[in-house]
Amino acid sequence: MIKITDLEKYYKTEELQTIALNKLSFDVKKGEFVAIMGPSGCGKSTLLNILGMLDDSDGGSFIFNGEEVIHYNERKRANIRKHNIGFVFQSFNLIDQLTVFENVELPLIYTGVKKAERKKKVHEVLEKMQIMHRRKHFPQQLSGGQQQRVAVARAVVNNPKLILADEPTGNLDSSNGNEVMDLLTELNKQGTTIIMVTHSEHDAKFSHRIIRMLDGQKVIENSLI
Amino acid sequence: MIRNYIKIAWRNLIKNKAISSINIIGLAIGIASCLLIVLFVLDELSYDRFNERKDEVFRVVFRANVNGELIKEAVVMPPVAQTLKQEFPEVVDATRFKRIPSPKVSYEKNNYRNGKFAYVDPNFFDVFTLPIIKGNKVAPLDKPNTIVLTKNEAIKYFGKEDPIGKILLVNDLQFEITAIIDNMPNNSHFHFDMLASMVGYSAAKNTSWMNSGFYTYLVLKKGLDYKSLESKFSAIIEKYMGPQMKEETGMTFAEFTKDNQLGLFLQPLTDIHLNSDFSSASTLEQGGDMKSVYIFCSIALFMLLIACVNFMNLSTASATKRAKEVGVRKVLGSKKSQLIGQFLTEAFFSTAAAMLLAVILIVIMLPFFNNLFDKELQMTYLLEPQIVFTLVSLLIVISLLAGVYPAFYIASFKPIAALKSKFLSTGNKKGVRSGLVVFQFVISAGLILATLIVDKQMTFIQNKDIGYNKKQLLVLRESYFLGPNQTSFKNQILTDPRVERVTSSGHVPAGVTNNSVTGIYVNQKFDRRVNIFYIDDEYIPTMGMKLIEGRNFSNNFGADSLNIIVNETTINKLGYGSNPIGKTMIIGVNDDLKTFKIIGVVKDFHFRSLHQKIEPLIMLNKSSSGLIVRAKGADMSGLITSISKLWNNYQVNEPFTYTLLDDSYNETYMAEQRMGTILKIFAILTIFIACLGLFGLVTFTTEQRFKEIGVRKVLGSTVSQIVLMISEYFIKLVMVSFAIAFPLGYYSMNIWLQDFAYRTKIEWPTFLIAGFITICIAFITISFRSIKAAQTNPIKSLRTE
Repeated sequence: MIKITDLEKYYKTEELQTIALNKLSFDVKKGEFVAIMGPSGCGKSTLLNILGMLDDSDGGSFIFNGEEVIHYNERKRANIRKHNIGFVFQSFNLIDQLTVFENVELPLIYTGVKKAERKKKVHEVLEKMQIMHRRKHFPQQLSGGQQQRVAVARAVVNNPKLILADEPTGNLDSSNGNEVMDLLTELNKQGTTIIMVTHSEHDAKFSHRIIRMLDGQKVIENSLI
Repeated sequence: MIRNYIKIAWRNLIKNKAISSINIIGLAIGIASCLLIVLFVLDELSYDRFNERKDEVFRVVFRANVNGELIKEAVVMPPVAQTLKQEFPEVVDATRFKRIPSPKVSYEKNNYRNGKFAYVDPNFFDVFTLPIIKGNKVAPLDKPNTIVLTKNEAIKYFGKEDPIGKILLVNDLQFEITAIIDNMPNNSHFHFDMLASMVGYSAAKNTSWMNSGFYTYLVLKKGLDYKSLESKFSAIIEKYMGPQMKEETGMTFAEFTKDNQLGLFLQPLTDIHLNSDFSSASTLEQGGDMKSVYIFCSIALFMLLIACVNFMNLSTASATKRAKEVGVRKVLGSKKSQLIGQFLTEAFFSTAAAMLLAVILIVIMLPFFNNLFDKELQMTYLLEPQIVFTLVSLLIVISLLAGVYPAFYIASFKPIAALKSKFLSTGNKKGVRSGLVVFQFVISAGLILATLIVDKQMTFIQNKDIGYNKKQLLVLRESYFLGPNQTSFKNQILTDPRVERVTSSGHVPAGVTNNSVTGIYVNQKFDRRVNIFYIDDEYIPTMGMKLIEGRNFSNNFGADSLNIIVNETTINKLGYGSNPIGKTMIIGVNDDLKTFKIIGVVKDFHFRSLHQKIEPLIMLNKSSSGLIVRAKGADMSGLITSISKLWNNYQVNEPFTYTLLDDSYNETYMAEQRMGTILKIFAILTIFIACLGLFGLVTFTTEQRFKEIGVRKVLGSTVSQIVLMISEYFIKLVMVSFAIAFPLGYYSMNIWLQDFAYRTKIEWPTFLIAGFITICIAFITISFRSIKAAQTNPIKSLRTE
């Protein structure tokens, strides 16, 4: 599903250039659950941003579903993104002014789904995440675990082929964290490819494969199955 | 501490160059416009206040309603001044003047015709404060044939020579110069260059209460209620006018006043400039208008308010960027009051900079502004104590107005939240800001609407069928200088192939008209006044007017001297019915009553401005002074040169002068055109400032919704969807402003249009256009900022978490 080859990314300031990704290569197959680990500043988040087509790379190749997307412009990338990729963030990134229902509904609006169908889909996913009863609440009124479940619901409501999770349990206690990991595992079993950045060895064990990074490079890869 | 405040204020100004300059420029434009208008208004209100007895001097005016026709004259009958002084002990003094339009002034061998001349009573200088700078300072005009000149007028004739005792010929009468006065102040309701003694002027001794023509001023006892004196005038009129009326018209005063009203009234000297509605013939100079003073005052106030509102909005918007600074300061122990002090210092700093810029703007704009308003406002006005005081108070008030809100807003951030840039505006604050935006756009949209309507009326005036063809007409009003040679001059002009027709008449239906007025009598009783034109057989075809019944004057019919041509309105108003040709009417000509027969009816044409309804008009077959030439082809300037050469062949010692009728027509509406230009300029400035404010607010919003925009983009929103999302709210506010601006604009512009007897209609497309323009301008302003926000890479906004 994803194949990156010699991916490079630099951050430049006036005086110095920092290498965030240094000729990184790996691939992820359809239906895989991959965890990316490494110390702070090793390039994990940069990698996730590029995989999510939120950021440009400075070199290398990125093939998504058989398409070379590295030179795609913003519009084309946005189009691929909204139909194929769901995001889960450490800090949830829910919109405070919108209710749970409206937050989850948002990706469907942007992909042009009709109103009646939107309602059906949102209800389905909220049921699945067991937060249906909270649908009229605003994010501030929910616990961290509930907020992350809403975020996951929002990430999956469009049935994306790929979910990119950036430390999804980082702001949660262990029981809430486990719930979220169970959710992701369940989604993966249903066929969704998941790439997760994490600091937690515990969370990484839920995955099929761990890619460990240092200074923008892949240092080791352990298969867990 | 203050030093620290100033240092930080300065660094912040420099750091946020863009937003600081928008802020300062906006405020400077607001202050400059406001001050310019204040200068204008102060000048308008200062008229005639230089007179030491300004509160005691009143002008006597005449108002009447005769057979339904309203008569308003600023002149009264010659004996009024003396009579009122004799009859009422409250009247301390009374003085008169009579103006003589464009007199011929000769000194040695030179002739001049551009001086402004009046006969004045000898006590004129006791009433009006016009200092005598040379010559007889006590009683310069006590003897007949004496004259006083202004300083500039004396220089015009005598250069550096001493003018006192010299003799000047005015309309071939000799006058001895007895004194020189300073030039009359600009803010006087009259301006004369030559003031001649009324002592030898026979018309001044006329005792008739049936003819008027004299500007009459009373000096009343200090503190007297002039209204109570005014109420005693009716008895005086009956006493003096009654017998004369009976003798002239056969009607007693009581009979006349049964259906009609007439009276003398008092007008305070300081009211004359702004509150006069007298007939154009008796108006000394185009005065100001209280209505426009009010309009301009409100515009000035609005501009200042809008500028301050912006300042507040923009300061609040840029303040969010400083949340971290506030957080750190608070964590380090700053008190709220210290932060407020700091932000107020910054506001003061920016306001002072704006004020300075405003003064520079005024210096640059003043000549242009003077030209626009036809004023001579001076820069030195700005140094007058009131203005300096106003400036300083403005500085303090604006700093407070503009600085207090952001100062308290920013200083109230909670330190930890501020450090994390986590602060949400409450609904209440959003309400305040929305209100401010609506307020700004009410004014902007209202001004756009007003500008469009003024434009529409001006186009209407330009395109209206006025009943004759005003193009290609050359008016030679002063051809009477040629005396008996006028006919040969006319015949020579006619030989030019570029000339189609020439008429021997100077009656011009536009601009300054020299229409005569006479009375129509029915059953030996005065019925109403009518306008009278003296024309020849060429007048109607030359002007391009249409005869709808009967015939034109003709040389073939022998003496047409007792025949008349009338306009349609005469027929309708006087009830001549469907077949007026051959009917007769009695008209007063040179104090005689004569019977005339109607031989033709001319289609109604506008011989006054479109402000007035067409009135009855009678045309007599008699040549009058002046020629009107209808040219054909495009070479108007060539034709003028040729005619000017012809003129010089006659050696009349008079310069060749001409006017184009088209220009005179446009001059009639100069006040409206000026109003239109001024509205346009202030509309543009107001919109500009309002847009600066909107820009600031959108900046504020996009900063607040930075994270949300990022999230939406990650979820697949396009740039245009985000621009729309941000714009929607503001566009809605602009729409709300229409709901207030349009009814208000419709109401006030309707009042303005009422001044025109012939006017365009305010129809819905005008509102649509005004709305469209406003929305477009607002949308462009919003997009400018929101597109930038929407294009920002979302990971930037998400990374800040």
